Amino acid sequence: MVIAGRTARRACRSGLLWGVIFGGYVASSALGYATTYPTVAQRRVLAGEFGSSPGFNALFGPAHQLQTVAGYTVWKALGVLSIVGAVWGLLTATRLLRGEEDAGRWELLVAGRTTRRGAAAQGLAGLGVGLAVLLGVTASIVVVVGRSPKVHQPAGASAFLAVALVGGAALFVVVGALCAQLAATRRQAATYAAGVLGASYALRLVADSGIGLAWLRWMSPLGWVEELQPLTDPHPVALVPIGVFMIVGAAATVLLAGRRDLGASTIADRDTAAARTGLLDGPTGLAVRTARPGIIGWWVAIAASALLIGLVAKGAGRTLAASSTVERALARLGARGTSADAYLGFALLIVAVVVALLAVGQVTAARAEEASGRLEHLVVRPVSRSRWLAGRLAVAVGAVLVAGVLAGVGAWVGAASQGASVSAPALVAAGLNLCPPALCLMGLGVLALGVVPRAASGVVYALVGWSFLVEVVGGVVGSNRWLLDTSVFHQMAAAPAVAPDGVSAAALVGVGVAAALVGGVAFVRRDLVGE
Amino acid sequence: MGAPAIRTEDLSKRYGTVDALVGLDLEVAGGEVVGYLGPNGAGKTTTLRLLLGLVQPTAGRAELFGVDALRRPVEAHRRLSYVPGEATLWPALTGRETLHLLARVQGTVDEAYRDELIARFELDADKKVRAYSKGNRQKVVLIAGLMSRPDLLLLDEPTSGLDPLMEQAFRRCIHEARDHGQTVFLSSHVLSEVEALCDRVGILRNGALVEMGTLAEMRHLKALSVEAECDGTPPDLTGVPGVVSSEVAGHVLRCQVTGSVEPLLQVLAASGVHQLLSREPSLEELFLAHYGPGPAPAGTTGAPARDD
Repeated sequence: MVIAGRTARRACRSGLLWGVIFGGYVASSALGYATTYPTVAQRRVLAGEFGSSPGFNALFGPAHQLQTVAGYTVWKALGVLSIVGAVWGLLTATRLLRGEEDAGRWELLVAGRTTRRGAAAQGLAGLGVGLAVLLGVTASIVVVVGRSPKVHQPAGASAFLAVALVGGAALFVVVGALCAQLAATRRQAATYAAGVLGASYALRLVADSGIGLAWLRWMSPLGWVEELQPLTDPHPVALVPIGVFMIVGAAATVLLAGRRDLGASTIADRDTAAARTGLLDGPTGLAVRTARPGIIGWWVAIAASALLIGLVAKGAGRTLAASSTVERALARLGARGTSADAYLGFALLIVAVVVALLAVGQVTAARAEEASGRLEHLVVRPVSRSRWLAGRLAVAVGAVLVAGVLAGVGAWVGAASQGASVSAPALVAAGLNLCPPALCLMGLGVLALGVVPRAASGVVYALVGWSFLVEVVGGVVGSNRWLLDTSVFHQMAAAPAVAPDGVSAAALVGVGVAAALVGGVAFVRRDLVGE
Repeated sequence: MGAPAIRTEDLSKRYGTVDALVGLDLEVAGGEVVGYLGPNGAGKTTTLRLLLGLVQPTAGRAELFGVDALRRPVEAHRRLSYVPGEATLWPALTGRETLHLLARVQGTVDEAYRDELIARFELDADKKVRAYSKGNRQKVVLIAGLMSRPDLLLLDEPTSGLDPLMEQAFRRCIHEARDHGQTVFLSSHVLSEVEALCDRVGILRNGALVEMGTLAEMRHLKALSVEAECDGTPPDLTGVPGVVSSEVAGHVLRCQVTGSVEPLLQVLAASGVHQLLSREPSLEELFLAHYGPGPAPAGTTGAPARDD
């Protein structure tokens, strides 16, 4: 039971943290709604506007009973937390199953009394414990919030909401575990699982975009979670496909684990290849070569999500034009337009987060080079640490800028194809406008890399998560200005709803450059450290 | 050759409260093959990481061919290669791609020699690194280190994971390097390996250099572990020439012998032995025999960066 114990310990720690975040998100949505829209009339207006907006329905899932705290909370939390949970689930599962295996930590254990199949089953059991902790913490907070007089929900209904909120995480823990058996490395497994998540989201989005394809919802794991409709119109029957999927997926994971060798993949992967040495002339070329598959994946994800947002922009914008409440909510985010541009200004915030994830991912990749000892092969040769780091950062900055252009072009293609009145240069500018926050976070990541290398990846992902939650929760609920200012996304103008703000963009990039310089100096002067 | 290949002055490294290396004064002349011995955690890897500028010293300085190894690492690294004891490489690259990359980064490569090394170590260079065993990954870093024929080879337990046949190939390479006038600094915890290759040996214990000299001068360290199972009570070995430590457990006697084993054999033969085992002692046993238990070596000091 060593593997089960190890996996459970690490999954629990993470489950505990994310349970608090899930619960906090629900609490802030529910209590914030009650405070921001205290009267029935205000709530009716809000429901009328959002409830019929295909654009918002497509992005976050359909809204039911927005005139109630319960309906608003579910609409606000379920779509977002399903995706956040799914990302958590697939990363946790691939890291704890495949990552541990790749690092060779299972070799000793599996050479003993444990079979490969047993090891996989134990890993799944450990992940199950982590999920239980996530569910337990989320449910505790949600039930407590439900007892507040402003919210007023029975404990049973609150508990069912918690189950639904954790549904995405549970499904994608299984997807991650299964992909860990199919792929040859942790990174490849995470890429496969992210592809499944992207397809699920796209199916759900099309199903909810109001074009008569609602049945597609049953084809998507995220659609099942949405079908649960907690609080507003509970459909426990949707737990059936979720349960079946998890059982079948877990069984397939254990079965496949027994059929392959430790460290090998199920899907055939070529172990030999002719030498392609075009890029391998130095540390920067190596960075391009090793980061390329991941970066292309991010580019595809960014272009595709911008395209989808563009596709629904016209319909969403029309609804916004007739809305005063929404306009006020958006005004807090900085948007003032009342057309498709206003919607795009708001929706591109989500793409900004993805661009930021691409950026900080490059910092954690650099740290992984150091932690694994691969960096040593370069710096024991005539390569300075500063040259290595500068090369990697140049590749990362290039990847971020291209991502910005792709976001703008994607949104334009989507919006223009539906006949929305948007201009291509304005949308490309809006896409590039997503880069400064990402570059700022990247610079802060380099600072963390230089000063607290072992904690660097935790720090950068915490910064992204914090910025996202503060901006999305705080922006709609209307919270403290100082709190909002701690989010890098809040410093970004909501282009194309408003013109990109050159001053704040320069300030963001300036902070990033300064942090990167300090971090770079610290990195050059310190000891190289392992994991 | 001018400046010595390696020269350190009072080189020290402290991790938290643990002294990994204390006041190391070391000089290795150009063309020498020097062994660097010590049990795990003695500070061998720390020494090499300091020489390479991978970690910063707490005190002292280090020069490689007269170039400050800490302030001007890029210049110092032009003339050396380093082979670590445990190789993590880029899993998606093939062996050949890895060698190409490291040759370009190094700036020099003897391509004919590289191909000869690939053949000699029987490396399937078109395989991806992730499909290699530990031994094959070790071959890649060994070939990468040797193929540029550097003036100085810094080797940190380079044969870990290699089978005995490949160890022979490695020894041949080191002999060739010596014939080429290259300097070799070989860290190891295998006495026989150092014995077969090195002119001079330094011995490290708890972060301090306790011995430095030629192999002839180290003769007093050479010993044999003997285990004898006697018919009756084992004989008392006090006063038997060459026996440096002995212990008795029931009918079994264990001891270490330096110099000739003949006096011991005579005593044993007289007291009825029905089984006799002898082998080269591990370095740890040698240290125990020679220096006594001493303060426990700080287990984690040698390789602070690789604690997993």
